[in-house]
Amino acid sequence: MEKDLKLEMRDIYKDFAGNPVLKGVTFQLRRGEVHSLMGANGAGKSTLVKILNGIHNADAGTIYIDGQNANIKRSEDAEKYGISFVHQELNICPDLSVAENIFIGRLEKNRFGLYDMTKTKKKAQELLDMIQINLDVTEKVGRLRGAEKQIIEILKALTMNASVLVLDEPTSSLNEKEKKTFFEIVDRLKKQGVSTIFISHFLKDVLTISDRVTVIKDGVNNGVFYAKDIDKDTLITAMMGSATIKRQDRKKIQNENQIAMELIDFSSSNKFGNINLKVSKGSILGVCGLLGAGKTEIARAIFGLDPIDSGRVLINGEKIDKVTPDNMLINGVTMVSEDRKVEGFIPLLSIRENSTLSIFNKMCKQAGIFDYAKQISYSEELAKKMTVKCSSIEQPVGSLSGGNQQKVVISRCVAAEPSVFILDEPTRGVDVHAKAEIYQILTNMANNGVAIIVFSSELEELLEVCDDIVILKKGRITEMVRATDTDKNTLLSKIS
Amino acid sequence: MKIFKRLYSNVAEQMVLIVIIVLFSVVMSIVSPYFFRMSNFVNIVQYVSVYGITAIGMTMVILTGGINLSVGGTLALSAWVAAFSMLAGVPWPLAILIALVIGSAVGTINGFAVSVIGIPPLIATLALEQTTRGLQLVFSKGKPLYGFPEGFLKFGAGKVIGDIPMSVLWTLILFVFFAFFLGNTRLGRTIYAVGGNANATKIAGINNNRIISFVYVMCGILSSFAGIILIARMDSAPTAIATGLDMQAITACVIGGASVTCGGKGRIFGTFLGIIIMGLIQNSLDLLNVSAYYQQFVQGLVIFAAVALDALRNKQSGKGFKIPLPRSTRSAA
Repeated sequence: MEKDLKLEMRDIYKDFAGNPVLKGVTFQLRRGEVHSLMGANGAGKSTLVKILNGIHNADAGTIYIDGQNANIKRSEDAEKYGISFVHQELNICPDLSVAENIFIGRLEKNRFGLYDMTKTKKKAQELLDMIQINLDVTEKVGRLRGAEKQIIEILKALTMNASVLVLDEPTSSLNEKEKKTFFEIVDRLKKQGVSTIFISHFLKDVLTISDRVTVIKDGVNNGVFYAKDIDKDTLITAMMGSATIKRQDRKKIQNENQIAMELIDFSSSNKFGNINLKVSKGSILGVCGLLGAGKTEIARAIFGLDPIDSGRVLINGEKIDKVTPDNMLINGVTMVSEDRKVEGFIPLLSIRENSTLSIFNKMCKQAGIFDYAKQISYSEELAKKMTVKCSSIEQPVGSLSGGNQQKVVISRCVAAEPSVFILDEPTRGVDVHAKAEIYQILTNMANNGVAIIVFSSELEELLEVCDDIVILKKGRITEMVRATDTDKNTLLSKIS
Repeated sequence: MKIFKRLYSNVAEQMVLIVIIVLFSVVMSIVSPYFFRMSNFVNIVQYVSVYGITAIGMTMVILTGGINLSVGGTLALSAWVAAFSMLAGVPWPLAILIALVIGSAVGTINGFAVSVIGIPPLIATLALEQTTRGLQLVFSKGKPLYGFPEGFLKFGAGKVIGDIPMSVLWTLILFVFFAFFLGNTRLGRTIYAVGGNANATKIAGINNNRIISFVYVMCGILSSFAGIILIARMDSAPTAIATGLDMQAITACVIGGASVTCGGKGRIFGTFLGIIIMGLIQNSLDLLNVSAYYQQFVQGLVIFAAVALDALRNKQSGKGFKIPLPRSTRSAA
C-alpha cells in the first residue's frame, strides 16, 4: 500500500432496489492532492461520495483513512474522520455575518457561556488572513457574491479541522475571475496538506485544478489519469466511450424576416435597460455576459416572472398586454429557468405529470377529467424522445439524477409546442452526454421553426448551439456576433 | 395476484392507518359486545360527519401548503344566517344556498388574502375566524335559533335506505366525490402540483393565485355545508357552535398523512381514515365507559402514536430520496 495515501475506498459495491450503481469501485486519495472525480450523470460518482459522507451505506467494500479501517455510517462519522463536504447547494444563513456563518454551531463563548462576538470576529479574521482573502467579517452573507459564499463554505469546513475536503460542483455558479480566486485558495490549502476531492462537469476546470483524475463509468473505475498528461478528449472518451460533442447541423434559416419575438426598449431600473432584441422563427439566439450582467433578469422579465419599468414584448408582431407566465404560455412562449431545484419541477410528482404540466387541459376528456391512457402514452413517447433515463414514467422526478431532471423540465416545455422557447442556463450541472442530447433537441426544435433564446454563461455552449450571440454588459447590449464568426477567447474578451 | 398488487400499491401509503383501524376493531369486538354492529359503525361515521366534511376542504388547503383556521367561524356564521333566513320564512333550499354563498364568500376573502395580498395562511384565516365569529355574535346577540322546517331537518338529519342517517350519506358522497376530483381531474392534479412546488407551476404557466383561491373557496363551501348538517341534527343554531372544529379537521388530515410542513402530500382517502380513527377512539372510550375526564388525554395519545408511526415509516422509505425543504405558497403565489 502506498505510504502517502490519505484516503482509500476499496471495492465499493452498492445497489438500489436491485439496480447496481457501484460495481466494485476503488478510489485513492493522496495526502495534499487535488483529485477530481468525473463521470456522466448516473455513473455513480455522487453515490460514491454519499457513501463517503455516510448518507448511503455501502453493500460491500472498505474505507481506509490514514491506513486505518474507517467505519462511516452517518454524516457525523465522516466529520469525525476530518472529511468535510462543500455541497453544490450552499448551506448559508443569509442574515448572519461572515464570521457567524464560518463558526456556526461553534461560536466562541465568553466566561458566562454567552456568545462572544468580538472573539468570533477575531478568529474569523485570522482565518481570512491565512488564506489571504479580503472580506469584511461583519458583512451579512446574503449580500455576498457567489464565489465569496463558496469561500465561506470552505472556511467553515476548515474550522472543523478538515484534512479531506470534498467540493461538489463548486465552480458551476462562478464566473471566470471568481474561478481563478477559488482555484488559488484550493492551491493554498493543498500546500497546507489538505487533500481535496473535486467533483465537476467542467472539463477545463478539472484539468486546471487537479493533480489526478479518476473517471467513473457505469459503476466502475474507468481509469486514473495525471491531469497534466491528458486533454479534454481523453476525459470525454473515458467518461462516454467516445467523444460526443460537436456542433449540430443546422438547417438554413428559411425566412429571417419572420420575427417570432421582439423586445422594444425593455428596461428595469438598475438591472438592465434599453434592450432591443429580435428573434426570428427557426433561429437560436444566444445571450452571454458575466454574472450580474443581467441575463437571468432579462429572461425572467420577458416571461413575466419579474416586473419591468418600461418596454414592450411583441410575439409574432403583436404586443402582449399582460406579461404573466400563464398569459405568455397562451401566446406560445415557454421557459426553462436557471434554478432547476427551486423552479424546475415538482419533486413528488411523476415524470408523467411533470412533463405534461403545461398541457393538462389537452390531456382531458370532458369536464376536466383526465384521460389517463392518453397522458401515459403521450408522456411515454416524450420521455423516449427526450432520452430520459428512468425505471418508469411513474417515477417521481425528485428521484432522478440532475441531467434527467433537466430533460423532464425541457420535456414540459417541448410538450407545450411553443413558438418561442426561452432557456436560462439550460445545461447547468448536466453531464457532457446529456448536454449533447439537449443541444440536439434544441437544434431539432429550431429546424422545425421554433425561435429559441439561450441565456448562458458557458461560452462553449453558446458557440456550439446558437446562430447569433448577443453580448450583454452591465445590463446593456453591446454587440451581436455570428457564432460561426467568433471563438471562445474573442467572446470572453468581449464580455469582460 | 396482479389485482392485489395494484390494490396494495394504492393503499400502501395508508397501510399503517388501515392496520390501526383493523387492530382497534378486533380488540374492541372482543372487549365490547356492542361494538361489532352495523348500527355502531353508522354511529361512528355520524359522529365524525361534521368535521369529516370540513376536513375534506382542509385537506385541499393543506395540499397547497396552506392552513385554514377559519372553518369554525365560517360554519357558525353561515349556519346562523341559514337558520335566521328559514325562521324569517325563506324556503329551506334557498336558505341552504345562502349558507353556501356565505361560505364561498369567506373562502374568497381567504383566498384573496393569501394569494394576492400575500398574507401567510395561518394569519389570514385566523383573522377571518375572529371576524366571522364576531359577525355571528353581532347578528345573534347571543340568542340561539331553533324550530326549523320539516324539509330541512329531513335534508340534514333524516334517514334513508333503511336506517342510514343523511349525515352519513352526505359524508360518504362528498368523500367519494372529492377523492375522484383530486385524483382524476385536471384541477385536482393541479392542486397537487401547486402544493408540490408553486415556483415550478408558475413557470409552467399555471395561475397559482386562481388555484389557491379555489381551494379556500371550496373549503369555505364545505364548512358551510357541514354547518347545515350540524344545525339540522341539533334542530338548533346555538351561538357557541363548532368550537375547535379547525383543530379537529387539521388533526384528521394529519393522521391521514397530509403534510402541514410541505404541500403536495396527502390524500382524501387518508383523511377519511383519519376521521374514522378519531371516531373509533371516541366510540371505544364511550363503550368502555371511560370517564369523560380521560377522553381528551387518550385521544391525544392515540393521535400522537398514529402520526409518529407514519413519520417513522416515511423516514424508512424515504431514504436515499430527499424531499426538498418546505416552502411557503406565499413566496411564489
